Order: sequence, then C-alpha cells, then structure tokens
Amino acid sequence: MTRDTRERLRFVANGICKSFATPVLHDVDLEVSVGDIHGLVGENGAGKSTLAKIIVGLETADSGSLYLDGQPYRPINTADSLRAGTAICAQELSLVDDLSIAENILLNTTASPWTRIRRKCAEERASSLLSLVGLEHSTPRTLVGRLSLAEKQLVEIAKALATEAKLLILDEPTSALTVPQAEVVHGILRDKVCGGITVIYISHRLGDVLNVCDRVSVLRDGEVQLTEDCDKLSEKALIREMAGVDADFDAPPRPTVKSAPLHLTVSGLRTSKLPNPISFNCKRGEILGVAGLAGSGRTELLNAIFGLDKRIGGSIKIHTESGTTEPRNPWQSIKSGIGLVTEDRTKDGIFRAQALAFNVTIAGLGRISDRSGRLIRRKEVGAVARLIEALRVRSTGAYQKMRELSGGNQQKSMLARWLHCESQLLLLDEPTRGVDVTAKLAIHTELVRLRDSGITVIAVSSELEELQSLCDRIIVLSNRNLVAEFHRSNWNQREILAAAFSEYDRVYEPSSAS
Amino acid sequence: MNELGSRVSRILEGNLIFVSLLAIVVFFSLISESFLALTTLSTLLNQLPALTVVSIGMTLVLISGGIDLSVGSVVALSAGVIGAGIAILGLPLPLAACLGILTGALVGLANGGLGAYLRLPIFIVTLGMLEVSRGLAYLVTDSQTVYIGATIQSFALPWAGSGVSASILVALTLVVVFELLLKKTIFGRQIVAVGSNESAAEVSGIDPRRVRCTVLVLSGLLAGLGGLMNAAYLGSADPNAGIGLELSAIAAAVIGGTSLMGGRGSVVGAFVGVLIVSVLQIGLAQIGITEPTKRVITGAVIILAVILDRWRVA
Repeated sequence: MTRDTRERLRFVANGICKSFATPVLHDVDLEVSVGDIHGLVGENGAGKSTLAKIIVGLETADSGSLYLDGQPYRPINTADSLRAGTAICAQELSLVDDLSIAENILLNTTASPWTRIRRKCAEERASSLLSLVGLEHSTPRTLVGRLSLAEKQLVEIAKALATEAKLLILDEPTSALTVPQAEVVHGILRDKVCGGITVIYISHRLGDVLNVCDRVSVLRDGEVQLTEDCDKLSEKALIREMAGVDADFDAPPRPTVKSAPLHLTVSGLRTSKLPNPISFNCKRGEILGVAGLAGSGRTELLNAIFGLDKRIGGSIKIHTESGTTEPRNPWQSIKSGIGLVTEDRTKDGIFRAQALAFNVTIAGLGRISDRSGRLIRRKEVGAVARLIEALRVRSTGAYQKMRELSGGNQQKSMLARWLHCESQLLLLDEPTRGVDVTAKLAIHTELVRLRDSGITVIAVSSELEELQSLCDRIIVLSNRNLVAEFHRSNWNQREILAAAFSEYDRVYEPSSAS
Repeated sequence: MNELGSRVSRILEGNLIFVSLLAIVVFFSLISESFLALTTLSTLLNQLPALTVVSIGMTLVLISGGIDLSVGSVVALSAGVIGAGIAILGLPLPLAACLGILTGALVGLANGGLGAYLRLPIFIVTLGMLEVSRGLAYLVTDSQTVYIGATIQSFALPWAGSGVSASILVALTLVVVFELLLKKTIFGRQIVAVGSNESAAEVSGIDPRRVRCTVLVLSGLLAGLGGLMNAAYLGSADPNAGIGLELSAIAAAVIGGTSLMGGRGSVVGAFVGVLIVSVLQIGLAQIGITEPTKRVITGAVIILAVILDRWRVA
C-alpha cells in the first residue's frame, strides 16, 4: 500500500439514509480508497447488510448520494451495478442448487442473455477459480445442491471474484468457513487489492477484520461511529464502539468436571457419510466440543447421533437413571432426551412463517396437550412465556412471527425448543453462527448455566476460540475420522489445528498469526 | 373516531373472506328479488356437500405442502363402486357406501405410498391417479350411468319443512371437526409444520412421510364420501361425475386463504370459499348472465382472492 494510491477514492457514500418500518441507516458517510480492504463491523441490525445492498442496487437509498471513482452512481439493480463494476458476495447465499458450479459462476455476468454458452470455456474458468479458493477437489460440473454449506460459501466467493469487479463487497464471507479456509480467502483478497481491486469486508469475526483490513468503519444503530486505520485498533476497542459497552471476552473461569456418570456412549458408529467407525463418550454435565475443518464430518456426526442419518454400524447409547436407551430416529432421540440445533437455521431449524410459540413447542407438543392429543392453549402460552423470559428472547410476544425476530433471538428460540422438551443432551451445530456479539455472549452464558444444571452439551464450531472458551473437552475430526481428544487443562490452538489437518494429504503450515 | 376506524379496518382485514361473502350476497339480493328466497338457499346448500368434503381434504393436503389432483375422478369411482354394488351385485346400501368410501381411501393410500414414501413428485402421482381412477370409474359402470334409485336419494333430499339434507349436515359437521383437528390437535400442528419446513419438522421428531401420507389418505377418503354424496344427489352413479372438481376444490381452498406453498390455511376458510364460488354461480345465473361470462367472472374472482390475500399477509 503506497501513500499515493491511498489518496484516490474508489467509493464514496454521502449522507445515506434508509428506512423500512424504522430507520435503518441514518446519514451514513463512507470513503473507501482504491486498493484498500475496508472493514465494516457492527452488531446484527446495525445496518451493514442494508448498506451493502444499497451499494449493489438491491435496495435504493431514501436520500444521500453515492460516487464510484468520482462519478455519481445510482444502481437500480444488480445487473446495473455489475456493469458499473461492483459485485457482492452476499450473506444469504445466492446460488442455484440445481445448476452446476460452472453454471452458477456464469450467472454473474454482464453479457446478453442470448450469448451462447461455451461449456468448455466456462468450465475451465470455473476450474481455475475453484482451485484459487481451495476447492480444487470439486469439479465444475458438480451440482451446487450437493455441496456443503462451507463449499457453497467458497463457490459464492468464486462467483464474486469471477465478475472482475473493481469494488467487491463481501458480506460475512467466512461465516461457515474454518480458520484455514478463511485464511485462503484472505490471501486471495490481499492478492486482489495488490491488483488494484477494492474490497468492502463485512464480518462478525473481529480478529479477521483487524488482520485482513486496512481501515475499518464501525456502524451502530445505522450510524457510523468511527472510521480508523486497523493498526490503531484492538478487538476490545471495536467491541466498545459496536456495543457502546465493554464486553467481557475472556473465557469464564470453570470448575473441572467432577466424576460424573456417563451420559452418552458412541461406539464404532458408521453411516453412509461417516465410513470410518467413530467411538467416544460424554459425561453428564460436560460441554464437549467437536473441532475440525468444514466437511470433516462434524455435522454428519451430530446428525448420526440424533438419528437423522441411518446408521450402518456401531451403537449409540444414552444412559439415564431409568436405564439405557438406543435411539434410532429423531423421534426416539427426542424421547431419550436429545435435542439438535442445526447449522443452517433457515433451512432445517426454524419455521419462518409460523409464530414463535409454534417454533418453541413443535418438538414437545405432548407437553401442551391432553391425552387425546388436543392442544391446550393455556399450557402453550405459559410454557412459551416462561422460556422467553428465561432465555431473554426479544419479541413482542409468544405469537409474533418467527421471521420478524433477529438472528440471535431465532437462535435462542431454537434452544428454547429443546429446553421445552427438557432435553438432557443438546447437540449444537454452530450455535452462534451469524449472531451478533451480545447475543453470542448471552448464548455462551446460557450454555454454561445449562451445563451447571446437569445438561450435557456437544457443540460443533468453526471458531476454535469459541470452543476453547466454552468446552470442558474437545474432540477433533479430520477427514471423517476421530483423530484426537484434548482436555481443558492441556490444549493449545496449534495442536488442535494440526490434528484437524492430520488426515488430509496436503500439509498445513500453521500461519504466523496462530 | 380515528381509532374506531382503524379497529374496523383491522376486523375487516381479519375476516376478509366472510366480508366478501356477505358483500356478494347483499349485492345479488339488491339486484335480484328472488335471490334471498329460501328456495335459493336450499338449492345452494344441497348442491354443496360433495364439493365441501372434497375441499376439506384438499385444504389439508395443500397445507402439508402437497396437492391431490385425483379427487374429481375418485368421486366418480366411488360413486361407480356404490352404484355397481347396489344395482349389479345387489349389496345393501350401507355396505356399498362403505365400499365406495374405502375405495377412495385406497386411492389416497396409493397416492401417499408413491408420493410420500417413494418420494415421487406428488403432482405427477396424483395426475396419473386422476386418469387411473377415471378409467376405473368407466370400467365398474361399463361407461354408463347406473341408476340406483330412491333409497340413496333420501341421504341428499332435504327433510320435509327444514330444507336441510342429511348430506349437508354431515358436510358441515366435517368442516367443524377438521377445522378443530387442524387448529387444536397435535396432528394439525404436524401438518402445518411439514408444509412450512419439512426438514425442520423432521429435526423436531415429526415423520414427514407419515404426515403427508395420512393427509392424502384422508383426502381420498373424503373424496370417496363425496362420491356417495354425488350419487345420492343424482340418485344414480355417473362415471362422468366430478370432472374438474379438483380445480374447484383448489380454488375454494385458495380463496379461503390456504397457501399453495403449504404451511398456512383453514378448513372453515375453504368452506367459505366454496360458498363464495357457489353463491356467485347462482347469483350470476339469476341475473341472466350466460355460462361463458360466468366462467370469466369466477376465474377473475379466484385471482382477486389471491391478490387480496397477499396484500393481507404482507
């Protein structure tokens, strides 16, 4: 980064205002220099995504003006903004499941819809982009619907890179990625800005933002609180600006797990997606972390325990005071006291169009009905009110529609669903994915409280810091094998990462940052 | 005053279909003097039972995220089985009626097995079953209308003085029963859950295949009952009965606020949808509007209903 490129501004926003039902952006000014990676941080609902959408023409501002390379710029849709040279890698993935990777990448184009598709040419281009983002093992003809969430996110990034836009906006590009995968993406971004491209980088991962960005702007309640060079900032300072309070990030002190009885025994477990037998135990009242790269079988392990994937070998035993059960499908699992919070909330977690009460009670309808299966509204209202209160779910009441709740509150209500069932073993797949800092801390606090009340938690997370602050023990999966186990007293990030990579062919060099 | 206005408008929005029905009735009674007569009402009511029960089943299937295109043909098949059972085999009426309804349930079971358990597209499965059932209806009746006689008609004829038949009473009871099933029972919640988000329902311990299959069996069973009501109304089994009935049932459900995407709807709403379409038909006929124009207007009303519904939900 040289001084003179700093002087030139690629993108300027001036006094941008936007209201939906309530004001979302208020008088936002933003200046982004050519060749910068400009971070944009803030809590959920601070207005980051809305600002991004305005820049690429997915929304229009109520007032204010935009300039691209000094020229007034007012895109009316994404095609328009693509022509002007801006592209977005959106938080909600915009891929078509029924098209191949190559075809998806091709969709982001300014060419006329009547252009003939040269399959070979498109596939070659896709192929080179795939190896760039670290998906060299996927072929361009693979249907996107078959990819995991992390792989889809990488394809989404490849799709944005394919546009060769001069202003690239990445909205939470690494939320589903593991640390090394995110590192690959950051490497690409650094390369791209050397080539004169400008990036606006939106993320909840503050460490990443400080690591990869040149400058950062903090949004709070639709206003820019601060714009500063990254080397003058710390995570603590960012959080202070975002939340307006000093959030405590240190891992809470933790008494070690006493000799508690076994709660779960997994032995020789195999499914079609987990070909190698997996065995481990979990004690009552323990928080067990599952680490590993995206696609290492973490989600598949939780699904297998819950009985969503049919097992082809081994056994899963749940030990309770009243005896041992071996659940084989979700229904039996729930009866045995297991609850699963899935990775992709909108896909297989919440019922968006239904009420909060519906979402909270759906897995335990027997608890709000009489013997004949008739629902009793009084019981429903009571149960839901208690859970909303206990988990501090922010809503207008039990009958507010789920889609009107923020991500963090939706996530809390997923927990509430299993607390309603009085589940004793919670399987949590990325429990804080896409929720803001305060909601994340609230969820962590709640999990520790549950643990202390004797509930067992198995948590999958791509953020090692999260597992380290939360867990009593961490098991590591690598390429669908269980390869290592670490206790709270004797782990370090480097060894966990090394274990996560141990079953893959390529050798991983821990980056200097870790 | 302003507050009163907003309250009135909220009540209007919440009960849009009832208000629409009322508006249509008022409109026709102002234009046509004979419209509000008791005979109109009784004619109307006695035409409705078959469409009503078929619409109940359709509504449940639509809420679960499916569709059942076979119901019109199943009405004819069930009627055919009843007719052939009585007229050719000499079975007693109650036994023949049960056979007809059972036939409907079996078609529903076939739909459910193929669509829910073998995971074939339900649109195609029930489209195929529409042809299969119609063909079977022609086979059992030898492609002719089978005369059954007065015994069966007593089910559909209004009781003296009251203007109400056993048929319509059964239909109305079923509307209430299934509305309660949908809104007040665990099974109803499960139907909505599966239609709203199938994967999430599975994670919540619901077996989506069982729920989908069950609503298709119910839909077949209700269509079988519709066949009995149709045969009772005509006094004979007509293999051409119920052609296009599946579309009327879908229209009634949609007018009543049921979403074709699943996850939302109401049985009472579907019944009001049936009333709206039927009142419109009779009213338009009474003021001398021809059949082609009637169809244009009915079609426009269906689209209008969806537009109003979208505006109400948004």
